[in-house]
Amino acid sequence: MNIYLPIAEMSANLFLFIGMGASVGFLSGMFGVGGGFLMTPLLIFTGVPSAVAVGTEAAQIVASSVSGALAQWRRRNIDFKMGTILLAGGIVGSVFGVEAVKALRRVGQFDLFVILSYVTMLGVIGTLMMIESINAIRQAQSGIVVASRQRGQHNWVHRLPLKMRFHRSKLYISAIPPLTLGVFVGFLAAIMGVGGGFIMVPAMIYLLKVPTNVVVGTSLFQITFVTAATTILHATQNQTVDATLALLLIVGGVIGAQFGAIAGQRLKGEQLRFLLAGIVLLVALRLAWSLVVHPGELFSLTALGRP
Amino acid sequence: MESARRRHRRTIASIAIGVLTACVLAGAAIAQRPAPAQPPSVPTQPVPPAQVPPPAPAPAQETRPPEAPPLPRESVHADVSTRRIAVTSTFSGTGIIVFGAVDNSRQVSAESGLYDVVIVISGAPSRLVARKKSNVGGLWINTSSVTFTSVPSYYAISSTRPLDEVASDDVLKSSGIGFDFVPMTFHRSARNLTAPEIKEWRDAVVRLKQHERLYQQDEYGVAFVGRSLFRSAFDMPATVTVGAFETRVYLFRDGELLSTYTTKLDLEREGLEHFVHRFAFDHPFFYGVFTVLIAVGAGMLASYVFNRNKA
Repeated sequence: MNIYLPIAEMSANLFLFIGMGASVGFLSGMFGVGGGFLMTPLLIFTGVPSAVAVGTEAAQIVASSVSGALAQWRRRNIDFKMGTILLAGGIVGSVFGVEAVKALRRVGQFDLFVILSYVTMLGVIGTLMMIESINAIRQAQSGIVVASRQRGQHNWVHRLPLKMRFHRSKLYISAIPPLTLGVFVGFLAAIMGVGGGFIMVPAMIYLLKVPTNVVVGTSLFQITFVTAATTILHATQNQTVDATLALLLIVGGVIGAQFGAIAGQRLKGEQLRFLLAGIVLLVALRLAWSLVVHPGELFSLTALGRP
Repeated sequence: MESARRRHRRTIASIAIGVLTACVLAGAAIAQRPAPAQPPSVPTQPVPPAQVPPPAPAPAQETRPPEAPPLPRESVHADVSTRRIAVTSTFSGTGIIVFGAVDNSRQVSAESGLYDVVIVISGAPSRLVARKKSNVGGLWINTSSVTFTSVPSYYAISSTRPLDEVASDDVLKSSGIGFDFVPMTFHRSARNLTAPEIKEWRDAVVRLKQHERLYQQDEYGVAFVGRSLFRSAFDMPATVTVGAFETRVYLFRDGELLSTYTTKLDLEREGLEHFVHRFAFDHPFFYGVFTVLIAVGAGMLASYVFNRNKA
């Protein structure tokens, strides 16, 4: 059953997008990742213009993170002070990101920019995950348990000015690192159609030393509001949010995520993480391929404004 | 029991990963597929140099039939099967029939072939940017672009015979008939382009639009069904831009343009999709807020439904 997507201006099968939403939702439910970094390239592969893929994916991330953020809020796992600083930075980053998308589209280089960003990001994440999962598989086979990382050490983050007390996180640190982190993640959300949890969570744990139980809730809080702001900014500045497409992806995504979460609780992670790393690397290679191989058609057309 | 359930879940997991991998591989396969060959009609049509001014078509009054008693002059009338077409969410393209008649036809039968009819349907002109990639340090990136201030969003030609047999290029050019003469205007930033460059960009636009089936040509698409009645079928793909369409019918005899007739047709968006489109472009801020509210609502509804099931 074909459906016409009004903003993407293409006609495609309804179940293709629901299926894509479900597959990515399943993986994100299983691994607890946002899934934006897989969904945006998949949308581009199916022919959705890259700017529409990025703008629409922001809306889908709102849907997939809002329920998680609410659940964490009920368990009081959100540091609102930290979250608000991250959010303020995130909105600034998002404003800059959306303007960057606008400028890059005007000069016709947005596709290139998105693909290069994704090749870099997926390449790094895929490689790291691949190494980690291979090590984990080896350790599981040999039965060695690695000692966990030492905590409580001070680093350069603690020597910056503008110190604030974060009661929920039991921290007394400068506001500059969370603000900068927020700006960076907000910028990524706007230009790549990702939530940015894959950068924010490790940065909060290792750089800011936020307790692990507060990290997920606080980052989900920030992601929900930043992607909501990004969706509105993309809609106003670039008109690249396709509500119909977003709804299809959300429907597929929420169903997939439920099954993914159940499967993730019961399954051995290493092999599947290895597979996920493989998929991530495959997507990165496929994107890189499109830049390197001679395109059959050198020309492309972009519609300008409306009469 | 427990192990069976676990096996089941593992199966679901591997299916999901399999589907995703298939998507990626299918994407890669599509990318490797060569671009479709262009229809042979395009390169066979010679293009006159751009500098030559088009000679005006012969004034209608001077053309007299060779026969001794002056017969009444032929003229053409036409109409389309549907004047208003609604584009809804499930719009997957549509077909249109153009039919018409030659008044004062001197043909004895449909097979006489005395007249040539050319029908051109063109969509509302749109602005667009064409970009060209070239290899920079191993990467294929957009390096040059040209802005067109007016290009027909849709352009379909149907004729009784190949156009080069119907009339000379000069006649076709003056009426804007044929892919080589599609009326396009360049933005003033393109005024320094040379004639071959202009042709390259024009051809690229036509080729890409043909690839999307927005530009079409059927060299034997018009058929006479009597000594004066003719018809032709057109199809519009789902990606067609909505708006006012113009249908022009040209009547030729021996390479001479005898009569033209113009009729309109409207493509309108309707239903939910129409609402979404208008909303997105007329009230972008509220559209963004609306999309976020839908997303929040869907996310919360899903967690409510699934949490209740689990309990």
